[in-house]
Amino acid sequence: MLLSTILTPAMTGVQSPARVASVAASPAVPLASPDAPHIWARGVSMDFHVAGRTHRVLHNVDLQVPKGGFVSLLGPSGCGKSTLLKLLAGLLAPAEGEVSVGGLTPMEAVRQRRIGIIFQEATLLPWKTALQNVEMLMEVTDKRRPRAEIRDRAREMLRLVGLEQAEDKRPSQLSGGMRQRVSIARALALDPEVLMMDEPFGALDAITREEMCDFLLEIWQRTGKTIVFVTHTIDEAVFLSRNVVVMGTNPARVIENMPITLDYPRNEDTYAIPAFGQTTAHLRRILKEGHRQGHSNGRSA
Amino acid sequence: MTAQAPQAAQAGPVAQPRKRLMKHPRSRFAGIIPAVLLAVGMLLICEVLVRAFALPEFVMPAPSAVFEVLFTQQAQLFAATLVTAEEVAYGFFMSAIVGALVALVIARFDRFGQALYPLVVLFQTVPKIALAPLFILWFGYDLAPKVTLIVVMAFFPVALNMLVGLQSVDPNLVALLRSVGASRTEILRRVQIPHSLPYLMAGLKVAVTLGVIGAIVGEFAGASAGLGYMIQFASTQMQTSLVFAALIQVSVLGLIFYYLVELAERHYIDWIPRPNA
Repeated sequence: MLLSTILTPAMTGVQSPARVASVAASPAVPLASPDAPHIWARGVSMDFHVAGRTHRVLHNVDLQVPKGGFVSLLGPSGCGKSTLLKLLAGLLAPAEGEVSVGGLTPMEAVRQRRIGIIFQEATLLPWKTALQNVEMLMEVTDKRRPRAEIRDRAREMLRLVGLEQAEDKRPSQLSGGMRQRVSIARALALDPEVLMMDEPFGALDAITREEMCDFLLEIWQRTGKTIVFVTHTIDEAVFLSRNVVVMGTNPARVIENMPITLDYPRNEDTYAIPAFGQTTAHLRRILKEGHRQGHSNGRSA
Repeated sequence: MTAQAPQAAQAGPVAQPRKRLMKHPRSRFAGIIPAVLLAVGMLLICEVLVRAFALPEFVMPAPSAVFEVLFTQQAQLFAATLVTAEEVAYGFFMSAIVGALVALVIARFDRFGQALYPLVVLFQTVPKIALAPLFILWFGYDLAPKVTLIVVMAFFPVALNMLVGLQSVDPNLVALLRSVGASRTEILRRVQIPHSLPYLMAGLKVAVTLGVIGAIVGEFAGASAGLGYMIQFASTQMQTSLVFAALIQVSVLGLIFYYLVELAERHYIDWIPRPNA
């Protein structure tokens, strides 16, 4: 907080690598230390211009994600959670504020393949097999890598997501859950430090979704990636995350950053733990309040 | 997989989808039967009416007379068909290339595309048939004016459909590829072009029928051979049966070209699940 107040005058413009470097160099944030957040956002705001009007989709958002953490961005539609994720993933640049992923700007980090992105739709190429889809990003980023090596790596990733039997299948022959697994394998193939997931299970049925949650926790435990996970499902957020960042609308902002103290590994029994119910109930309450407050704000404005 | 196959053959419910697949060709022929019956019925009625009213053959030939000409003068008709087919084939091929190139240029080069696209649309509003005499004037009586007319008529649906295909890729996928450093050309090659192929095929199906029209109109405007020439010549000679016979021949030619395109589509684009395929 102190740091951000010191830096605020310098943070009005668009971020630049030099500015991030100066933050990294300042003694107050020793980025090398294990306590330093892997990903952080400070004072981030974002506007969209639609038909000549400016809509503020994010207002002064602070966020910290520790290395190896699992943070969910939870909120109703229109709270800017997907926008925040896109800012963290370097797909958008913030209007105000700064974002850092491992000491780099997100765009730098993506270019250096430190960020894997997974969307709600698996965004696979329908004319390619599961294996070829996993190979695709490697082919783009690693032009000089031998074909056989790319193939081996893709096979390894399909094995990791439990789809070694389906490598010759086209996306249309796979179920929604399997397609999303291929998409995750494709992201993991580049060995990123961070997985940014934008409602990745939102298009799946409830049963498949819970299966995928188990699967994702397993992947997380095995690979130790930092995961940022956007969702509007409260149970999903609590079940998966170490921290749930609750976001509200009007203006889109962070309402609360809530640590989830349930022990890992989590499984079916986790849903039955009283603390799980209490946590989800608390989140439901603040989401409702945030929503109501947001609405009344909207009316008075 | 190998362990499952014999199991599947034994188990009733699992084997059922295969049975249904086997049924496909039969049901397809079954689907044609009503259409054939209707066509035969209409021809019969036509035959009866022509005979009942004793219409002269140069006004309205009976179907039987038309079919007779279709067989007795088939050598002449076939030679004309070859000429027209050649025009359609070249014209269609060129339309496909020109249309695809226009789409690619518009999709790849934003600025140039912005300049080109309105002109292409504007050109589309010109009645192309009216250009036929001009092409005869410029390129003579042979293949060239017909091919030019076909290209001018048929490139637009190809370009428009392919452009829609190129531009309808998932923006998230494009963003993902761009973020890891893929160039515009690479994204075009890896994602947009394959994605646009089904759209291109839809455009080609429209183009191929326009190609037949273009060839006939081109021959009307000036030719010394071909089915269009034959239709015009026969009608001036009051050989109405021959006109109808040539018409049938043109339709069959168009049908064959259309199915060739569809065959190519089925062969090359096998990732799209087709209803009733």
